[in-house]
Amino acid sequence: MSATTAAWLVLAAPLAGTVLLAALFKALPGRSAGWIGTAAVALSFLFALVALVKLQQASPAHRELTSTLWSITRSVGVNANASVLVDPLSVLMICVVAGVSMLIHLYSVSYLSGDRGYSRFFAYLNFFVFSMLLLVLAGNFLLLIVGWAFVGAASYMLISFWYRRTTATRAGIKAFVINVVGDVGLVLGTFFIFRHTHTLDFVATFHLAPKVFASGSGDVTAGCVLLLVGAFAKSAQIPFHTWLPDAMEGPTPVSALIHAATMVTAGVYLIARMHPLFQLAPAAQDVGAIVGVTTLLIAGTIGLAATDIKRVIAYSTMSQIGYMIMAVSVGAYAAGLFHLMTHAFFKALLFMAAGSAIGAMGGEQSLDRMSGLRRALPFTFVCFLVGGLALSGIPPFSGFFSKDDILAQIGSHGGWYWGLYVAGYVGALLTALYTFRMIFRAFLGEPCTPARELIDHGHLFHPAQPTNPANGEIEDSDVGFPGPDHVIAERALPMRLAMGLLALLAIGGGVVGIPKTTSWLDRFLAPTFADSTIHLYPSNHLIYLGLAVGTAVGLLGILIAWLVWVARPAIAPAVARGLRPLASLFEHKWYFDELIDALVVAPSAWLGRFASNTFERLFVNATLIGGTTAIVRAGSATVRSAESGFVRYYVGFILVGLAAIGLYFLLAS
Amino acid sequence: MIATLTHPPAPYVNFAALSPFEAVIGGSVLVLLVGLLGSRFARHQLVPALTLLTLAATAGLALWQWNDHVSAISGALAIDDLSLVMTLIFATAGAGATVLSWRGRAPAESAHGDYHALLLGSIAGMVVLVSAQNVVTLFIGIELLSIPLYVLCATEMHRAASLESGLKYLIIGSVGSATLVYGLALIYGATGATDFQAIATSVAHGQHSDTLLLGGVALVLVGLAFKASIAPFHQWTPDVYEGAPTPVTAFMAVATKAAAFGVLLRVFDVMLIGEKVNWRPVLALLAAITIIVGNVGALSQSSLKRMLAYSSVAQAGYILGGVAIATRLGVRATLFYLFVYLTANLAAFAVIVARERETTHGDDIDAVAGLGAERPWLAWSLTIAMLSLAGVPATAGFIGKVFLIDALVGAGYTWLAIVIVVGSIISLGYYLRVVGAVWMREAPLAAPLIAGGSPEADSAGRHFELTAVALAFAAATIVVGIIPQPLLDLAGRAAGAITGAL
Amino acid sequence: MLSILIWLPVAAAALGALIPHRRGAGLLALAGSLAAFGLAISLIAGYSGHSGQLADVTNIVWIRSLGIHYSLGVDGLSLFLVAMTTFSFALALLAANIRTWARPRVFYFLFALAESAVLGAFLAQDLALFVAFFDLMLIPFYLLLGVWGGPGRVAATMKLVIYTFAGSLLMLAGAIALAVLTHQHSGQPLSFEFSALRAAPLPGGTQDWIFLLFAAAFLVKMPAFPLHGWMPDAYREMPVEVLATFSGVLSKVGAYGFLRIVLPTMPAASVHFQTLMLLVGLASVLYGSVMAFTQTNARLIAGYSSVAQLGFITLGIFAFAQAGAQGAVLQMVNHGIVVAPLFLIIGLLAARAGGSADIREMGGIAMRAPVLATVFLIVAFATLAMPGSGNFIGEFLILLGLFQTKMVISIIAFAGVVAASVYALRMFIRAMHNREGSQVHSRELRWPEALAIAPFLAAIGLFAFYPQIQLQRSERAVVAAISQEQALTAPAATAGGADR
Repeated sequence: MSATTAAWLVLAAPLAGTVLLAALFKALPGRSAGWIGTAAVALSFLFALVALVKLQQASPAHRELTSTLWSITRSVGVNANASVLVDPLSVLMICVVAGVSMLIHLYSVSYLSGDRGYSRFFAYLNFFVFSMLLLVLAGNFLLLIVGWAFVGAASYMLISFWYRRTTATRAGIKAFVINVVGDVGLVLGTFFIFRHTHTLDFVATFHLAPKVFASGSGDVTAGCVLLLVGAFAKSAQIPFHTWLPDAMEGPTPVSALIHAATMVTAGVYLIARMHPLFQLAPAAQDVGAIVGVTTLLIAGTIGLAATDIKRVIAYSTMSQIGYMIMAVSVGAYAAGLFHLMTHAFFKALLFMAAGSAIGAMGGEQSLDRMSGLRRALPFTFVCFLVGGLALSGIPPFSGFFSKDDILAQIGSHGGWYWGLYVAGYVGALLTALYTFRMIFRAFLGEPCTPARELIDHGHLFHPAQPTNPANGEIEDSDVGFPGPDHVIAERALPMRLAMGLLALLAIGGGVVGIPKTTSWLDRFLAPTFADSTIHLYPSNHLIYLGLAVGTAVGLLGILIAWLVWVARPAIAPAVARGLRPLASLFEHKWYFDELIDALVVAPSAWLGRFASNTFERLFVNATLIGGTTAIVRAGSATVRSAESGFVRYYVGFILVGLAAIGLYFLLAS
Repeated sequence: MIATLTHPPAPYVNFAALSPFEAVIGGSVLVLLVGLLGSRFARHQLVPALTLLTLAATAGLALWQWNDHVSAISGALAIDDLSLVMTLIFATAGAGATVLSWRGRAPAESAHGDYHALLLGSIAGMVVLVSAQNVVTLFIGIELLSIPLYVLCATEMHRAASLESGLKYLIIGSVGSATLVYGLALIYGATGATDFQAIATSVAHGQHSDTLLLGGVALVLVGLAFKASIAPFHQWTPDVYEGAPTPVTAFMAVATKAAAFGVLLRVFDVMLIGEKVNWRPVLALLAAITIIVGNVGALSQSSLKRMLAYSSVAQAGYILGGVAIATRLGVRATLFYLFVYLTANLAAFAVIVARERETTHGDDIDAVAGLGAERPWLAWSLTIAMLSLAGVPATAGFIGKVFLIDALVGAGYTWLAIVIVVGSIISLGYYLRVVGAVWMREAPLAAPLIAGGSPEADSAGRHFELTAVALAFAAATIVVGIIPQPLLDLAGRAAGAITGAL
Repeated sequence: MLSILIWLPVAAAALGALIPHRRGAGLLALAGSLAAFGLAISLIAGYSGHSGQLADVTNIVWIRSLGIHYSLGVDGLSLFLVAMTTFSFALALLAANIRTWARPRVFYFLFALAESAVLGAFLAQDLALFVAFFDLMLIPFYLLLGVWGGPGRVAATMKLVIYTFAGSLLMLAGAIALAVLTHQHSGQPLSFEFSALRAAPLPGGTQDWIFLLFAAAFLVKMPAFPLHGWMPDAYREMPVEVLATFSGVLSKVGAYGFLRIVLPTMPAASVHFQTLMLLVGLASVLYGSVMAFTQTNARLIAGYSSVAQLGFITLGIFAFAQAGAQGAVLQMVNHGIVVAPLFLIIGLLAARAGGSADIREMGGIAMRAPVLATVFLIVAFATLAMPGSGNFIGEFLILLGLFQTKMVISIIAFAGVVAASVYALRMFIRAMHNREGSQVHSRELRWPEALAIAPFLAAIGLFAFYPQIQLQRSERAVVAAISQEQALTAPAATAGGADR
């Protein structure tokens, strides 16, 4: 089977899974739905590997394949086909996506087992995987936009999976609307490109772009900036990030899959995919780099203050994606994708571990309530630790190599990019700091009640009255929103399996790109970026400096965290008091929600109220309708009043009319 | 020609050509006599039957005369396609009225013979009027038409409103006649001729806009406008229509109006065609005023007869538009619209009569509330009639309006066409109010029997003949709405009779 | 052929009204519309877009004296609108058959009469015939609303009729003026046939006021801001089965009229008023969206969303770019097959929320009705034109065409896209999610209901995956329809098909 056939099958498998699960949702007994879903994605992953192998066998010149099934529109010069573009970039992406998704499905088989709508969950999850794969395989703008929007829709459905929680539904619509804003950016960007290339096909566009666009010309810049809007919305970059923390309302596997490993990295993929355009628009590239670095710093600071364990991880996701956006914006494509891959591994792992911990806490997510889970959840603890070390960039864990690869390449740019370089390492310090703050607070110290329960009596803690962790609203677990019983990795083989595999990948994932040793990833991706005009060759001392500094910063962060939250617990509140304004700034997430509310939501709400309460009533009804009818009524009243019933008046009218006509004739004559 | 006038022998009379007229006259006399017979059968059944027979004969003779354009009584009357078509209209209206008043109250209170004789007499007057070829016969026609109507309006002697309407009609009618005859006199004075053609020629050759002539034109216009109930000379219409016995109202609404427009055509589009530069704007303006006044007046009238009276004013405005532009197309549109108007109104009045006898609400709109559930056939008839008057497609009214607007735009009177459209928009307000009552309201509780309600109300027998009339004319409305061409041709032929000058 | 298609539904219903059997009326009306749908499908199968010509032409002289012909024909412009009409009416009649109605005979007769009138308007190739059908279609809807509507129906009928008839009577005047003046101007014999009117356009000044008369009628029918005053009452009171067709089909006649009549016969005026019409479209988009996310009555949310959608279609038509016009035609069909099931679903929701269509009374309905929830979700996504739905393709083409000719307006119009996601999801969430409302009794879709809605989903799917099925057939006709305007506004508007 050819690589393209494999690609089509990669898409087909999860779609089939969705349809099957949706059709049989009533009939499926027990956990069969979960297994079906997992199998579908596993099959998809298999085909992805086939595609990978096929591509490897082909000569580097022939690693860009397209295949078309049918034409969606072919009219008045707007041609878009259902076509896939199979090249190293897309194949790498589908491997990562399908692989991680498979493990997360596996994890969910047990994690969601107590939940109502078990098969609904897996149908959604499969649909998401299909959408994500469509996004990365799309061979033209139209299909990309479709995948882009489907991913958003799937994310919406999964965020508000527990739809009896008002917090969940609110978070869902917020995520969806912000993503639609991103879609609009994407579409408008496409229009700007199409305006000159008159084609939607990727290959043709990239081929034409250098011919029709002068470098830095207005339209290409506008187009790329608008594409960036799409990327930012999807990848939760400032100022389009506010939906991501709320998205933690979804079940933990959702957070792991969509809001860490796959969907939120779509922006990175987009920029890498569109590099021929971006390289014609240096301004747009700089915008990307600056937004990336801003996000990575701001998210890091918020991560320091957040207390909800899942939200801490969410903010760390934002900041890590900041690294990737920065990388692909300055032309370090391979490095950015390298980090994308390793991040997918360790971030998914962290979420899974967090899910297990939350299970042990009986649904409780606040770090303030957690402590000493280490002895209660040994396996979870180890996984969390591995993920944390990888995230903090401690050698030899995967995150170490990918992050330093990015920074080294940025450094090799020189010029003002040194600013980004430094900021990157500051971010690394923050990362280590908040990561281990989380780990120490949750797993070290005196075991909390749930932990005791587990250690002493060996059974899971169940709160007397389950409440929504976000707003303390009483949950109606009787109908299974969410299910009454919780699950921990220690008790569920599928979860252990998934976490174990991811832990291995998180440890060893860096092997594909160890500086000076292995460069498989760079070589593999080379054909895609062959036409790149940006060539970054970090000098050796820069590389070694980077490795050293990276290690040092990571360890320093961990040390500080140890001092602050384990050795001298008194420090943290003291610092917080000392820097009250700063601390509150972080705790309120830099007031972004309030800002957007004031700038966008409130005005449009006011507009709506004005339109329906005032304008519609006064203008449309009172003036347009009332006015005309009033005139007619007045006329009718006049006529009837003239109809007195007295003959003399009638005769009078006749004479008056006669006089008038006579007068006219006399004047006329 | 001149010679015969100077030494007049016994004038040559073409009895064959006059046969329709003779039939009506003879019929009226016969009916009058039969009405004197004692037997109840003769009065209640035979008299209406004979009336119908007479009208049938008239129509038949008119068809027999078809197509030979001759003048009778040495040019006093002309029997041409126009007059014959008009005769058909009168016969139909008369027949309709006769059926409506069968078993009715008006002929019972007056004598059957008198009632029907008067009806036929009035028709005779109309025939004379529309065939008139000189001002004298014109005036004779008008009077012969009017006097019986004055009486007919008052035939429900026990109802004050009926008597009142008769009196009002008489008084104002005489004012109208006076104006008319004075105007005719002035025209004679200005042109020295009584014959339409002669007047036309002298107007054509004589210098334009002679004050005496124009004064005459103004007076004639008012006199005829009054008969056609054109605003501001319409005000008798609502009162008289409301007061008169409903069958008579139906007859007046249709036949009188047709006659008035017939003679308007002869006077303005033949006799005074030379002056059209002067009178066209006036007629157009009157048409516009009439349309607006009639339509706004009809809004929020609760008496159906009163509402239809105003609607007839509005419709008169539309028709006058066709006369005003003085083109061949205009005349055709006018004649065609008269058919449209006839069918719709007779259907509507038939329903009203039926409801007057079946309910205690008289001609109030409550009388037709919930009709859709109670009497579907009547309901559909009334609905179609209203929609046709409003000018909805698939009814004759739509074609009529299209034809009219077509003629107006063609003659450069687009503004008048827009006025017609605006008027029609307003008219929806009251026509659809009736439709709404028929289909969307429940029948109200029967009010206690009052003077207004007719004695038959309690013994609400089903009046098949009324339903039949309603259905027949409603069906005609639809048929003409879908296959208008034959009727258009007919109108065209009739128009051809007088539009030589156009 | 086309005559059969037009008159079949009403004939069948009339037959059904005459036979004694009580349910017979509904079933025969249904059968008639289904047969009509079959004919429409055979039309599509038989029509290849390669020649932009009319197919299945019927041309009989109707009124000789006025040069009015009973002239029918179908081309790429009307082909799928006809199919959509028969489709929606058939399913709406199916849905209506689930319930029992007072005076069923009259009800189904009027319902079918409405279908025949709409089909006539889409197939007429003679201006007077078009006007006749255009006015005729209002009568049945007037009665359907007035007799079988909700409590406030009488006031609603008055507004509806005054607005729409005012529009159509003005158009009647405009139509006659157009024909007569063309006749006088060109010296050709008087004729109302489109072909004749296209052949000899009037001088610009004359075109202008006639254009306004037509625009009034069509904008009211759509409805477009600010002429939508009749819409809220009518939508609130109409029976949902009727409303589904009313909103899904009738609104398109207006948009269709622009492409079929106004643009080809009055090019100068169309160009002259382009900006005005674009602003009307834009205002409709924005105003409709804003209103839609403040309403609490689900019917009005859907209603105002239609105002917005029709605004998009107006924008597409008056962009005078091929892509825009193609998108507009596609969107007419898409909106029809989306809004009709939306109203049917709203009916079902109201039935589950104690009879109220107010989304504040709803909530949590998804609990025991997962299938209904899924169906609603799909329809909601299609309503907000999510990429992957046919509506998105339509909107994409519309905005692309507009972008090529009037970039700024296109960019502003995107606000409507975002707003759509807000109101559509808001309606879905408030109805299906959160805790149950006080009156809510969540109940799963029943089979007959599913049977009435499922085909719509199938159609949505078809147009999502293969809009080309329509685009290829409509291309020639659409390009021809706007060619004169393009020539007049050249070169800006020619970018659409530059490299074909």
